[in-house]
Amino acid sequence: MSHGKMGVSRLVIVGVLVVIIMVAAGVGYWYSLEQERLRQEKIKQTIIIGTTDKITKLDPAKAYDFYTWEVMNNIGEGLMKYKPGTTELEWGVATNYTVSSSGLNYTFTLREGLKFNDGTPLNATAVKWSLERVIRLDDDPAWLVSVFVQSVVVVETYKVKINLKDAVSFFPALVATPPYFPISSKAFPANAVKDVTDGWHGPYKVTKWIKDEVLEMEANPNYYGTQPKSKFAVVKFIKDAVTLRFAIQSGTIDVAWKTLRPIDVSDLKTVADLNFTEVPGPYIRYIIINTNRTMHSTAWPSTDAKFKLVRQAIAAAINRTEIAETVFMGTVDPLYSMIPMGMWSHTDEFKVKYGDANITLARSLLTQAGYSETNKFNFKLWYTPTHYGDTEADVATVIKKNLEATGMMEVTLDSTEWATYAGEWIEAGTMPIFLLGWYPDYIDPDDYTTPFVAVEAGDYGMGTFYWNATLFDILTQARTKTTIAERTALYRQVQKTFMTDVPHIPLFQGTLQAFALSNIKGLVLDATMLFRYYLVYKE
Amino acid sequence: MVSLRAYILTRLLLTIPMIFLLLSIVFVVLRVMPGDPIKALIGLKAPPDTVESLRRQFLLDQPLYIQYFDYLSDLFRGDLGISIYTAEPVINEIMLRFPATIELAISGTIVSVVVGVLMGAYSAHKHNTIADHSFRLFSMVIYAFFIPWFGMMLQMIFAVQLGWLPLYGRADIYLEPTHITGLYVLDSLLTLNFSSLINSIKHLILPSIVLGLVLSGIYIRLTRTHMMETLRQDFITAARARGLKETTVVYKHALKNAFIPVLTMMGLQFALLLAGAVLTETTFSWNGIGTFLLQGIQNRDYPIIQGIVVFYALLVAAVSLVVDLIYAYIDPRIRY
Repeated sequence: MSHGKMGVSRLVIVGVLVVIIMVAAGVGYWYSLEQERLRQEKIKQTIIIGTTDKITKLDPAKAYDFYTWEVMNNIGEGLMKYKPGTTELEWGVATNYTVSSSGLNYTFTLREGLKFNDGTPLNATAVKWSLERVIRLDDDPAWLVSVFVQSVVVVETYKVKINLKDAVSFFPALVATPPYFPISSKAFPANAVKDVTDGWHGPYKVTKWIKDEVLEMEANPNYYGTQPKSKFAVVKFIKDAVTLRFAIQSGTIDVAWKTLRPIDVSDLKTVADLNFTEVPGPYIRYIIINTNRTMHSTAWPSTDAKFKLVRQAIAAAINRTEIAETVFMGTVDPLYSMIPMGMWSHTDEFKVKYGDANITLARSLLTQAGYSETNKFNFKLWYTPTHYGDTEADVATVIKKNLEATGMMEVTLDSTEWATYAGEWIEAGTMPIFLLGWYPDYIDPDDYTTPFVAVEAGDYGMGTFYWNATLFDILTQARTKTTIAERTALYRQVQKTFMTDVPHIPLFQGTLQAFALSNIKGLVLDATMLFRYYLVYKE
Repeated sequence: MVSLRAYILTRLLLTIPMIFLLLSIVFVVLRVMPGDPIKALIGLKAPPDTVESLRRQFLLDQPLYIQYFDYLSDLFRGDLGISIYTAEPVINEIMLRFPATIELAISGTIVSVVVGVLMGAYSAHKHNTIADHSFRLFSMVIYAFFIPWFGMMLQMIFAVQLGWLPLYGRADIYLEPTHITGLYVLDSLLTLNFSSLINSIKHLILPSIVLGLVLSGIYIRLTRTHMMETLRQDFITAARARGLKETTVVYKHALKNAFIPVLTMMGLQFALLLAGAVLTETTFSWNGIGTFLLQGIQNRDYPIIQGIVVFYALLVAAVSLVVDLIYAYIDPRIRY
C-alpha cells in the first residue's frame, strides 16, 4: 500500500473515532442532563437535614444514644409514642392497653394488619420476640427492659401482655423508647446485634445508608398513619460544628440540627433567610458532690453537719446566669432543680433557698462550718474536657471564680477524659466534686431523681454516695402512684430534700435549637429530643 | 533477580516482628490506662449485670495475658476483632472508610508533589532571585498553616460566598456512585456515571488543595536542595555545552536525578496520609479512617485502635517496600 493510501486510511480511522467519541460524549451529556433533571425533581421533594451526631447502631438492642433513637423514631415506632411538641403519650402501633389492679400486668392491643418493611407481620409474636431479644442480648440499653419486664405473653394474634417485676407508673413512657420497639425477626438476627435498615415499621423506610456519611429515607407506603409531609428525607452527617454552620448558611442543607456552637447560634440568628426554633431541652448539667465525707482528705469538714453547710455554701455561691451568658451566650437556661423546667412537678427549690451568687449566705454558711478567709475550704473541681463539648473548661472556670468570690474557698480545677471519668472514677469516688450531665432515658421525674440516691448504704448513686432511707422510700412510692397529682406531691418533697442535703447542685438546662431555611415548615421540637423528619416540608 | 527476591522476602519477614512489637506495646498501654471503656460507652445508669455481661463479651474480665493471646490467635486468622462501640467487625469498619482516605491521600499527594516539585525546581533554577526567595518563604509559611483554619477559609470563600465548589463531603445527595471499590472517582468511571464523576472530583478539590498545599512545603525545600546539588554536577555542564535548551537541561535531566530523594519522601508522606489526615477529614466531613481512629481513641475502643494500628503497620511496610523497589528501578546504581 502506498503512503498516500495509508494516510487516507489513517485519517478515516481517526475521523470515525472522533465521530464516535463525539456521539458518545453527546449521548453521555444528554443522559447526564436528564439524570440531573430527575435528581433536581427529587430534591424538591426531599428534606435535607445536617447534623454532627451519628448513628451508632441501627438495632434497638444495641443503640443507647439519643440521635440513633431519633432515627429509629422516624423509621420505626413503638407501642406508644409521644405527641409531637409535647411530652404526652399517644398510641403508636398499639391502640389500647389495660393495666391489672396490681399494676404488674399491661395488656396491649395492637393495630391489625401491620407489616414490617420486609413483609413480616407486626403482631403480638413480633412484640414478644423483640423484647425477649433485647433481654437475651443484654447489650447497652437492655436494662431498660430487663430491670422492669418479668415476661411477655402472647394473648392473641394482636394482643400482648407484658408482666412487670415491680409496678411502675411510668411504664408507658418506657414502652415509647426504642428498646421496646417491635422489629422483624426475619431481618434482625436472634442472637447478635446488627445494623438493619428494613426490619422496621415507621413513617419512613431507609433506602440508602452510608455510615457516618448519609442516610436516605423514603416515605413508607405501608405506614398505618399519616404519610410524611416530604416524600424523601436525607440526613447528612457532618463532622464539625463550623461546617454545619456553613452548610445551613449556604443552603446546602435545609435544617441544621445538633449541634451548633453557641457563637454560631448567635451569629445565625441575625441571618434573615433562616428560621430559628428553640425549645427547652430535657438535658441538664449539674455538680455532683460525693457526700461520703470519709472518702475525702482529712482537711475536709470534720462532721457531716459541717460538710452539709459547705455544700449549701457552694450552692449559694454559684452564679448560673453568668455561666449561661458568658459561656453559652444565652443558649442555655439556669436551672434550680434536678427535675427540668417544663416537666410536671418541677419547682425552683435552689432558687428559693439559695438564689444565685448569694455571697452573703455562702460566707455565713462557711463561717458556721468553721471556715474563714484565713482558713479556706480547699478542694478540686473536676470536669471532663470533651464529652460535653469544648465549653466544659469554661464552665469550670466560671464556677471556680464564683466560689472564690466568697473569699473563703480555694478551688483547683482538674480534668480527665471521659473513659476514665465515667469508666472508673465516678464509681470509685475518686473525684470529690465534679461536673456531670444528664440525658434522660425516659421522660419522667423518676429518671432525674432515683439514680442519684444510693440503693443502699455504700452504693455510689452516680457519684453522690448519698444514702437517705426516707428519701428512698418516697421515691419508691412515687414510682408506684398512678396519678400525676400524687406523684407531683412526692417529687416536690424529693426536690426539697435535695435542696437541703445538696448531694448535687443543678446548674443549667440545655435548649434544643435548630435552624431551617425560610421555606421549610413543620419543624417541631420538644423535650423528647426527637426531631420528627416526617412533619417537615418545603413550602 | 535472586538477590531482589531475597531482599523482598527479608523485608516481609522483618515486618512480622515489627508489627508484633508495635501491637504488644499498644495492647498493654491501652489496658493499663485508667478507665473502663464499657462503662464509658453505656453510661452510668446501666446495672452492674449489663456492664459485666459486656465486659465478658469483649473478654475484658479476663487476665491480660489471656486477652493478649486470644487477640493474637484471632489476628493470625485475619480477625481484627469487634468494635466495642459499633459492634461491627473492625476490618469491615476499616474497609468502609479506607477508600475515602486513599482517595484523599492520592489527590493530596498529587497536589503536594506537583506544586512542591515544580516550585522547588524553579526555585533552584532561579537561585537567589526574588522568585527563589518567595518560594522558599512560601514553603515555610504554608507548612506552618493550621489545616482546619486554612480549610475553613477556603470553604468560606469558595463554597459559602462564591458557591463555586462543594462545602463538605464526598458527593452531593443522590450523586454517590454505585459502590464497587469505595473510591468515588473510580466507581463513577467504572459505572460510566459522569454526573457522579464530575461531582466527586469537585468534592475532592478543596480538601486536596488544603492537604496538598500544606505538604508541598516539604517538597519545595527538598527539591530545591537536591536540584541545586544536581545543577552543579558535571553532566549538567556537559549538557549545556552540547547546546541543549536550558529548560530541557533543568526540568528533564537535572530534575530526574534530583527526584530520587523526593520519591523516598513521597512514599513516607503517602504512608502517613494513609493514616488518615484527621484535621482535613474533620474539616471537610471526609468519612475516612483518621476521624474514625480519633473516635476510637476517645471511646477507648480497644479493638478499633489495635486493628487500625496493625492495619497501618502493614500498609506502611508495604508502601516503603514498594518505594524501595521503585527507587531501584529508577536508579540503576541501586541493586539489592
